[in-house]
Amino acid sequence: MAGVATAKKVRIKDISRPGDEPLMFMNKDELMRACGITEEPAIEPTPQRFIDKYEMSLDGHCNIGIPKPKTKEEEDFFVRRFLSGLEKLFTAGDSWTFQQVLRLSFDYCVKCQTCSDTCHSYLASGRQEIYRPTYRSEILRRIWKKYFTPEGKLLGRFVGADVDVNWRTVTRLAELGHRCTLCRRCAQRCPMGVDNAIIARELRKLFSQELGIAPIEIVEKGCVQHLRVGSSTGMNPPGLKDAVAFMEEDIGDRIGKKFKVHVDKKGADILLIHNAGEFLSWPENPEAFAILFEAAGISWTLSSEPVGYDAVNYGLWNDDVELARVAVRHTQIAKDLGVKKVVIGECGHATKAYVVIADRVLTGQMSSSEVPRESCLPLLWEIIRSGAIKFDPSRNNFPVTLHDPCNMVRAMGIVKPQRLALKAIAPQFREMAPNSVYNYCCGGGSGYAIIQSFNFPQWRNKIGARMKMHQTLEAFKDELDPNKHPFKYLCAPCSNCKGTIRDAITHYGLWDKYNLNYGGLVELMVNAMVDIDRPFIEYEDFH
Amino acid sequence: MAMITIAGKQVEVDEDGFIQDPEIWDEELAKGIAPLEEVNELTEDHWKVVRYIREYYLRTGVAPMIRMLCKNSGFTLKQIYELFPTGPAKGACKIAGLPKPTGCV
Repeated sequence: MAGVATAKKVRIKDISRPGDEPLMFMNKDELMRACGITEEPAIEPTPQRFIDKYEMSLDGHCNIGIPKPKTKEEEDFFVRRFLSGLEKLFTAGDSWTFQQVLRLSFDYCVKCQTCSDTCHSYLASGRQEIYRPTYRSEILRRIWKKYFTPEGKLLGRFVGADVDVNWRTVTRLAELGHRCTLCRRCAQRCPMGVDNAIIARELRKLFSQELGIAPIEIVEKGCVQHLRVGSSTGMNPPGLKDAVAFMEEDIGDRIGKKFKVHVDKKGADILLIHNAGEFLSWPENPEAFAILFEAAGISWTLSSEPVGYDAVNYGLWNDDVELARVAVRHTQIAKDLGVKKVVIGECGHATKAYVVIADRVLTGQMSSSEVPRESCLPLLWEIIRSGAIKFDPSRNNFPVTLHDPCNMVRAMGIVKPQRLALKAIAPQFREMAPNSVYNYCCGGGSGYAIIQSFNFPQWRNKIGARMKMHQTLEAFKDELDPNKHPFKYLCAPCSNCKGTIRDAITHYGLWDKYNLNYGGLVELMVNAMVDIDRPFIEYEDFH
Repeated sequence: MAMITIAGKQVEVDEDGFIQDPEIWDEELAKGIAPLEEVNELTEDHWKVVRYIREYYLRTGVAPMIRMLCKNSGFTLKQIYELFPTGPAKGACKIAGLPKPTGCV
């Protein structure tokens, strides 16, 4: 029964179990204890209306919403398509992008389980078996063995090929592919170099490309909408122009002087592409970029071309085809403007997608050797280091800690610039533990920040983001008294992380209780600018 | 997706009650959605906010950002919450017939 603690020891072959009964359901007594969180909203059981209509039998939660099949034919089609898709994943002509690492990860796991205790979701859940990084991988491995190897076909369970593939197996796997934030902390610790996150990612690709199954926010309202109207937010070019007009006006109100924000300026040195969510939810972030770039005398521009004003590339998490389409548009727009390079704003996945991963799918004239591209973080540190702008760190005299976005820090190794910047402008900066490349994911990685469907936000807040809230409150443990400082600032230079953190702070009531606020790096920089006579960060503003 | 009856019309909504086809929206439908968002009666102040959001959405494809909404409607955020207890992003946008927000917002 959903909502009641189920047997903790879930076996691999339970994935094929018939019926609506979930393999497990989160239990408040088992969730990891988090620093400073003494009470929290009760766990809501799975609504019956979801159970009646959708696949909820993994853990009583879902983010895809696979409808129950109406006929036996539908069920069989689903299973056949899954198996043929799995075969394609290992066929070079069909799927070459990550095949080598996928195959090595498939072949070389020695099941030592070293990776388990590196996973924030596994730990936060109270070490539930199904969130172990190897659980999903081992299921796939056994299916592969059973259906695609001679010994598995012949000897079945005697050679560990004992997972039946039925409709439940496939739909539970689809959901299980979406209980990993692809942060790759497990891959970092694996003594064999196995990457369980790439297995999860390729599994998601199988579902998206072969069965059209993905969270609606990621593909249909994500990549597809991005390419159709210009942005995953739905914002069209007139919307961008409105947002820029608002930025100009708001900058005037905030700093007492106005200037023009460059859009589509041909021949500028830098094309700056933000995650478009920033314009709508955190306009102070692109405003702060504009203020810094102007003050530092940088030649830069935004683009108002569809796709050119939204750096996101959700294909990174689910779909190679969509990934390539978006990256091609970004490159074409940069070429048309004749810029020297593209800089991605404070957004982790967009940075990794364009700076690193795009080169796996695109070569020649679309590659990074033609249009150089980089993260904003080194440039932001350079603005401070070079002395181009004068900063007064005493303006930021409140406790600050730093969250390391996985895609930029663990995956790309951008570790120092943001730390050097904070040390220069935030006198009460302290690290959380662990940090840098050993950070924990915010809990919103791989698109979870934006998945608001069904009861998935409960999973994200209770399990996904729990470790990050714990780490943050630990970093501030001597400052929790809300009367001591106007607020404490969790600096998270990534839109996806900020969305997750905002929702988690709200869920656990940490703004009301501890004055815990959050924001990007550029806002702190502008807040410390000597030439601006008023605070840029508004003390009472949590949004 | 589910079909529900609002103001005598069969309307397709998502699991959170956002209408799926923004084109079918009219003022009668807004009046029907309002009580579901804890707004018993749509006063002239409510309409001012709803019409602004609606017009903005039709032109740009998105809801206006909160600060823009406050600046252009003349209400403070507190007043907007008094008018729409479930908030501007959920309550007001739903009544104005917008789909659920998407992207990293």
